[in-house]
Amino acid sequence: MTIEPEMLMAYADGQLDPLNTKRVERAIAGDPALAREVERHRALRKRISDSFAPVADEQVPDRLAALLKSDVVDLPVPRTRPILARWREAAALAACLVLGLVIGLKAPHGPVSGGAGGLYASGSLATALDDQVGGADGTVKVAVSFRDKQGSYCRVFSSRATDGIACRDASGWALRRTQQGSPTQHGDYAQAGSPDPELMAAAQDMMAGEPLDAKAEEAARGAGWR
Amino acid sequence: MAAFENEMLALLPRLRRFARALARDAADADDLCQITVEKALLARGSWQPGTRLDSWMYRIMRNAWIDTARARSRASETFVDAEAGAGIGGDGGAEARVALGEVEAAMRRLPDDQREAVALVLVEGLAYKEAAEVLDIPMGTLTSRLVRGRQALMLDLGEAA
Repeated sequence: MTIEPEMLMAYADGQLDPLNTKRVERAIAGDPALAREVERHRALRKRISDSFAPVADEQVPDRLAALLKSDVVDLPVPRTRPILARWREAAALAACLVLGLVIGLKAPHGPVSGGAGGLYASGSLATALDDQVGGADGTVKVAVSFRDKQGSYCRVFSSRATDGIACRDASGWALRRTQQGSPTQHGDYAQAGSPDPELMAAAQDMMAGEPLDAKAEEAARGAGWR
Repeated sequence: MAAFENEMLALLPRLRRFARALARDAADADDLCQITVEKALLARGSWQPGTRLDSWMYRIMRNAWIDTARARSRASETFVDAEAGAGIGGDGGAEARVALGEVEAAMRRLPDDQREAVALVLVEGLAYKEAAEVLDIPMGTLTSRLVRGRQALMLDLGEAA
């Protein structure tokens, strides 16, 4: 009987179910080389574990503990923006108002509407992206808000129908990434409403600096995300 | 809310250990910890109370590590990495030039995907299933990375037959 290296390792780590444990034990009984391999796995495990263990006993540096002991979280350094960009923003905001009126009159029903510029959030999803505070519960849940490298505001959202990342541009919330919303696909600890790790990884890639904290998010919301 | 911070505070020693197993030196490891804590505080709304905070934090740290490692490799494309174990980071701060232990040096020579598997299972003591969930990979992928990482470490540390 051959025992794959993975199974032997899992046996050494005590990670096998009872049936496979028996299987491996029988094989080891008839093959001293397998027994030695198990010993090597256990010795390596102990050596690696022992060599890093002292780190967990070290005093945690003050600067780390301070992040959690104080109620005041450092705000990200505000970025000064060139005056031209502000003018462009003002112009875009004006255009946005006009467009908003047009879109508002059409009053689409679904969470997504298509346009020449790609997919945009509409209906309840657009409303949630506009108004909802990060972390608040609702049919749509916004996990994180951030600025992307172009300076646009983006929000990671999850809902029953769709999860994704939407970034605010002149036309509304452009859907940069979407995937099927799925309440419990990731096992025990990532339950309904918790954003998919791939989505969070994508958000981290897009992000300039740090995610917005509650204050920065409130300010962005007050300014219409522009 | 304070309970969330206190739980994170209690996890810091383990997070620092995980960071040390991932990052190239102690200074980088604590930077990684800081980034992780900041990201976790800001993303607290996405953590589901009643689920495991440690898995959630490990995952944030691992993603942050991938990001910084990627950024660093872009920044130092012309830089040829000195043989690890010599204890010379090349681009780190002077305080980071701490002599590396043999095991830490060997960990640093592992490919990233094997190193993170070894760090979660052998350093942090996670079950295979938990580690696979943190990395968001199937069990089979986890065990194959883990077995390759261990074989490489055994060779490197002179524990091969």
